[in-house]
Amino acid sequence: MVEASKSAADEQLFELALSEEEKLVLAKVADILRKIQFGTVVLVVQDGKVVQIEMAEKFRLR
Amino acid sequence: MADAIHTLAERPSAPAEPKLALRDLVVMRRTASGETITATDRLTFDVAQGEFVCLLGPSGCGKTSLLNVLAGLVMPSSGEALLDGRPITGPGPDRAVLFQEPALFPWLSVLGNVELGLELTGVPASARRDIAQRWLANVLLERWADAQPHELSAGMRQRAALARALAADPDVLLGDEPFGALDAQARELLQREVQRFWVGSDDRKTFLFATHNVREATLLADRVLVMSAAPGRLLEEFRIHAPRPRDLDDVLIARVVSEIHTLLMQEVDASVAREMAR
Repeated sequence: MVEASKSAADEQLFELALSEEEKLVLAKVADILRKIQFGTVVLVVQDGKVVQIEMAEKFRLR
Repeated sequence: MADAIHTLAERPSAPAEPKLALRDLVVMRRTASGETITATDRLTFDVAQGEFVCLLGPSGCGKTSLLNVLAGLVMPSSGEALLDGRPITGPGPDRAVLFQEPALFPWLSVLGNVELGLELTGVPASARRDIAQRWLANVLLERWADAQPHELSAGMRQRAALARALAADPDVLLGDEPFGALDAQARELLQREVQRFWVGSDDRKTFLFATHNVREATLLADRVLVMSAAPGRLLEEFRIHAPRPRDLDDVLIARVVSEIHTLLMQEVDASVAREMAR
């Protein structure tokens, strides 16, 4: 069976061979990015692991 | 780790009745020269129970007028100010205000001032002393209970005012530049204490502070509402999801401070341009 060609993103993901933990972090970040239009997301890393995600959103009101 | 991430990145859940609500609120006020001006220009926003919101804006933008309406000290000219869905018609024990000047009664001791606050909200005499002493201990003034206000530093007086305000167990704490008259150290201490009390109230208490200090607003608030110069209207809202106690050097906080500064500079420029065009 011919394998469908991978996108650049799929290739990168494949090559990284993400751990379960890494997948969780990326899923959470993707979730946040879907919800915010303008803002800042900060990943706090300790001992090579993301221990906290902080974010600030900005809304224009006028 | 997964849990920590989950909690922090959560958006606030769908609101029940907001604790405080403003709908097209217009407040007029008298200036020192006697003319009547529009302080706020159809303000509309909600504050959910348990939130800590800071109103940020230049002097004269209507923050004080707005807080006076919420405190029940001033009636709106038009629009509505609601507490738990009901129009605010006057002051009440459910709201306490922290002003820039602590306004402690000079003829009462520090303890006496806190007890008076409790008496005014109907706490029976038997309970007042205990509650007052407990709150003085909370703000680290227990050894100054019998002192007169003039013996205290400005920061200590404001801590006493904070104890007086919170001892009465209000649902809402309103602050009008409460730390504006304090030196940097006292200001920092009070900011930490206020955060501690708010966190300790476990989503039961709602805090709404007005300030023109960008760093303070970002340090304290879940949401920062940036107001224009008078007549004040809302320009932008910043929602900050970062744990407390917060550090001004924290990357996220520093970025938000920077963004707000940029916004305020733009607003000043626009305001000047409008003036010149007249």
